[in-house]
Amino acid sequence: MIAFASSVTKPDVYRQCAEPGILRAREPDSVVRPLESIGSIFRSYNALLDEFSGREDLEALVLVHQDAEIVDADFCSVARRTLADPEVGLVGCVGAIGVRSIAWWEASVTCASFINRYDEHGGGDLPSFSWAWNDAPAYARLGEVETLDGFVLVLSPWVVRNIRFDEDLGAFHGYDLDLCLQVRAAGRKVMTAEFRAIHHRQLDMVPDPEEWSEAHIALADKWDGRMGIGIGAGSWKDRALRAEADAEAALVLAYMNALESDARVHELERAVAETAESISWRITAPLRWLQRTTPRRSRPELTPRSLAKSLNTAETL
Amino acid sequence: MIAFGSSISGAEAYQRYAEPGIARAAEPESKVLAFAAVEPIGRSYNLLLDAAAAHDDLEALVLVHPHSEIVDPALCAKVREAFRDPSVGMIGCAGARDVHSIAWWEGDVICGSVRQRYEEYHGGEFDAYRWTQRRPPPAEVDALDGQLLVLSPWVVRNVRFDETLLLGHGFDLDYSLQVRQTGRTLRVADLAVLHHRSLELISDLEVWVEAHIKVAEKWGAVLSEPPEGESDWKRRARRAEARREAARAIAMSESLKLDARVLELERTFEQMTTSASWRATAPLRLINRLRRERAARRELAQPPVTADA
Repeated sequence: MIAFASSVTKPDVYRQCAEPGILRAREPDSVVRPLESIGSIFRSYNALLDEFSGREDLEALVLVHQDAEIVDADFCSVARRTLADPEVGLVGCVGAIGVRSIAWWEASVTCASFINRYDEHGGGDLPSFSWAWNDAPAYARLGEVETLDGFVLVLSPWVVRNIRFDEDLGAFHGYDLDLCLQVRAAGRKVMTAEFRAIHHRQLDMVPDPEEWSEAHIALADKWDGRMGIGIGAGSWKDRALRAEADAEAALVLAYMNALESDARVHELERAVAETAESISWRITAPLRWLQRTTPRRSRPELTPRSLAKSLNTAETL
Repeated sequence: MIAFGSSISGAEAYQRYAEPGIARAAEPESKVLAFAAVEPIGRSYNLLLDAAAAHDDLEALVLVHPHSEIVDPALCAKVREAFRDPSVGMIGCAGARDVHSIAWWEGDVICGSVRQRYEEYHGGEFDAYRWTQRRPPPAEVDALDGQLLVLSPWVVRNVRFDETLLLGHGFDLDYSLQVRQTGRTLRVADLAVLHHRSLELISDLEVWVEAHIKVAEKWGAVLSEPPEGESDWKRRARRAEARREAARAIAMSESLKLDARVLELERTFEQMTTSASWRATAPLRLINRLRRERAARRELAQPPVTADA
């Protein structure tokens, strides 16, 4: 039996995002367990592990963020196939190698089969590089990795029964990297597999930089060079000075991007305003009003969601 | 006499921006020292200092970056007013307090009427350092922006730019710290300046990072409390590495957000210009454009109106 579980802090988000994906992926005998959060994600997930560790028929436990939506209907068969190797402890759809910190995306990412779907500015989709394998770059591949993004994690029964999330590390950040490190330290493999998910989230990657930085430090201190975490070139002084310079360079880059974007926005706003103020736009206003008020033949609207649906349909055909 | 100096690395930029600004601000007796740039920037500026120091009647030396245009006809009067306080060693149009690195703008920024004009995306203009909160001058600061520096005669004759800073970036912070070490103060005055520069504020971020490290090594204890031992350095490194990766993630997020904002406007514009009504009226706009062009040509062809006429 493949079980699905989530730690839920926002029930409406769970209903809109995680639940449809789980319903799409589950099998008739699957147990679906949305757990109302009992504190940190570390603690909630441990509660779920405790709950399922006694199930003898457990084939896998899938931990799904409340804002993550599994896309593939054959998800269970992919999970089962990957976990057929008894050495495999964890499976995900986004992973990296050469990881040195919780900023796994700074390492060499090998697989990123997800879409970041955002609501800001009218909404949109940002497909990652292996969302569509036909267009994936040469470095995209499935297989063993050092860490996975925790938004969808498939745990083997062995992991459910023998590993626990480290509740001393904080509230949220770094739970996934630490779990992967523990599993690998125990001799099990961490793998990416061919399934996809949609991450419904805002565009802010780090909305809480202070908390995130504390988690970064806590994890670096915990592993302190083991499994490659927290290592770097040069003396501590060299590393401090370089990192301080790099941090400010990153901010400069952000300012430059903001300036460029503002310039583009001004240019577009000018163009929109010129169009809206032109005689031809104003004299044709009644036509547009008529068009808006006349019932039209309904046509499927092209939205990110319909796009994802059409991708699904195309694959099943 | 207030002298103006510029180290010219791009002759065209100097002619277009710095020169008209100097002409606007200079007084009849002002000297203009326009020298070809030599590397590093410290050497260039020291040449200007030597030339200015030779003038016994020097009241101030205004160092103008070739891309900076002074738009303040009252600049000389403002400079004289600021230097009435003999403790003031240097004045600028922008600067900051609580500065810990060559990224002085990460401190508490004081800035007057300083604008940035860019040419990309059909051109435009906005307040300089718009990404941060700016407080108005006058105010004493820890460091001044090197785009426009006004030096007192004492500073011109006694403080030299560090020619070992080969990478260019951070020369202004270094010079500011040197001036402050002599006991003189730095002030931001309300000087109106227009920076003509690309939206790309720093074209060589890797070089900038190296310059950041070099200046941090030189001024370590002045810029931040020095760690006492290896374990303190380790703590500082851990924190800095966390901050670096957070900053990179934030930069990436900001970039995504800004792209989304632009995309939203592009969608609006596309919807407008692909609408049936817009397409149907294309001939009208074509006729209008031709009419405007013909009128412009006719205007050009007309002989100029003379006073006799």
